[in-house]
Amino acid sequence: MDNGVILKIDDLTKSFTRNIVNVRGEAENERFNIIDKLDLEIVKGKITALIGGNGAGKTTLFNIISQFVNADSGNIEYYHGDETTSLLKLQPDKIYRKGIGRLFQDNHIFLDMTVTENMLIADDNRFGEKPFLSLFKSKKNNEIEKNRIEKMEGIFIKLFGENNEFWEKRNDLARSLSYGQQRLLGLARIFMSKYKIVLLDEPTAGVNPKIINKICAIIRKMPQKDGLTVLLIEHNMKVVENVADWCCFMSDGKITAVGSSKDVIGNPDVRKTYLGI
Amino acid sequence: MNYFLHIIIMINIYVILTVSSNLLIGMTNLLSLGQAAFYGIGAYIAVLCLMILHLPLIPTILLVMIVTALFSLLLALPSLRLKGDYFVLATLGFQLIVFTVLYNWVSLTRGPYGVSGIPAPKLFGFIEISGVLPFLILSSILALFTIWIFYKLINSPFGRVLKGVREDEISVLSIGRSVTNYKIMVFVISSAFIGIAGFLYASYVTYIDPTSFTLDESIFILSALLIGGLGNIKGPVVGSIFVIVLPELLRFVGMPNSIAANMRQIIYGLALLLLMRYRPQGIAGVYKVK
Repeated sequence: MDNGVILKIDDLTKSFTRNIVNVRGEAENERFNIIDKLDLEIVKGKITALIGGNGAGKTTLFNIISQFVNADSGNIEYYHGDETTSLLKLQPDKIYRKGIGRLFQDNHIFLDMTVTENMLIADDNRFGEKPFLSLFKSKKNNEIEKNRIEKMEGIFIKLFGENNEFWEKRNDLARSLSYGQQRLLGLARIFMSKYKIVLLDEPTAGVNPKIINKICAIIRKMPQKDGLTVLLIEHNMKVVENVADWCCFMSDGKITAVGSSKDVIGNPDVRKTYLGI
Repeated sequence: MNYFLHIIIMINIYVILTVSSNLLIGMTNLLSLGQAAFYGIGAYIAVLCLMILHLPLIPTILLVMIVTALFSLLLALPSLRLKGDYFVLATLGFQLIVFTVLYNWVSLTRGPYGVSGIPAPKLFGFIEISGVLPFLILSSILALFTIWIFYKLINSPFGRVLKGVREDEISVLSIGRSVTNYKIMVFVISSAFIGIAGFLYASYVTYIDPTSFTLDESIFILSALLIGGLGNIKGPVVGSIFVIVLPELLRFVGMPNSIAANMRQIIYGLALLLLMRYRPQGIAGVYKVK
């Protein structure tokens, strides 16, 4: 596909079961569609924000794209180079290998590993990660480890400037960082790999305004890095207006409004149902 | 003198058992109750190699490792897709099956009568390794070899991914590493080295029977590991020394054997309780029990 679309979601449906109490006061199970025949096209090299209330299906959509959750029906096609891949047939680790990275809503960094280990484990050069190579190729292993550390240092400088706290704390456990710093570390980790698309799930949730500004600056840099495409779930409308090229409003498992951030946030339905104004 | 050398040989055997198990239990957080099954498989394969096939030392060790690894692969492929308690139950089931087979397949294993008169292994087919001193040298070499291999593995990019698996499987998947593949590799490597301990035990003691490889033995290996500590090499080594030396110390106290055996169990239990409460990472380990 050469119309600039990198990800095409067609007729995607996912249902869950929830427990309800019926009018007679009896407990029963009810199926409901968290994603309901959703269609969406994501443009390459742009930042697309997904907004919507809690339970609208945004994180489930991310989970389906990364294949942590299987869809009931529909299709997601991923256009990379001359290839087209249907993502719904892949395992989560294969999704990464196709160039789709993820920042989770609930800080999935390795808390009992050092800052350096958190960065190096995400390197796309996997040399030494097979047991026999780690035993017998010491010289090459050391050389590649050195390159990984240089790459990490470069990323820290690029994102946080010279003499940054992450380089100084590189041998500290990630657990010792503040929540905001952990969030930044998670974002920095994305730069260790050559992704085509990154899925950012509420990157600014629970962090202070100073770190929000840093996170926004990093997100804005992402499309400049090899035309990276960003799909962003965000509840902070200032962040959406600040960074997103496109915005999609999700409600009841469907995309109900698409356009520029300003247009979607200004949409009367969005203002009424989501923003409450 | 021979008595002290015997203690060191037993420590060496347990160092191999615990250092190997540490990769699985400590580094990857896969709690297994089937370690004694692989220990037993290693011992019985060693008997086959030494008594029937009359293989020299190195081919015997290699064959023991390969066969134990194959058995572990058979268990790993279906059970490593299970999580948490279900995986523990799968290894428990395997442990019970292996013990039952060893105990009841009398025509192959001589069942409860055990196998006696296991011949000494021969280096290059002609240098016989029998007696305490040669076994001390052999067991020390094999224990040091195991420590070297596992030290390299733990401190490599491979070990880093294992730490990641231990910490957060979802995160490891999201950076493109297959958690299941890593677990299978760890399970197979760990079991192959446990097989070496089985070979050492069988050829040193020259008699084996299935009661040496029961669930109690799996729990004993696990206790040694938890007491010493998880996640590095020092912990398993300290744990092995602790569980082997402690009963010997009780002998010096002059405690009758019947009381000393129970006392040993009480002290192990108490040590575990105190460690879980005050030092969950064990005497010398780095990770707390999850």
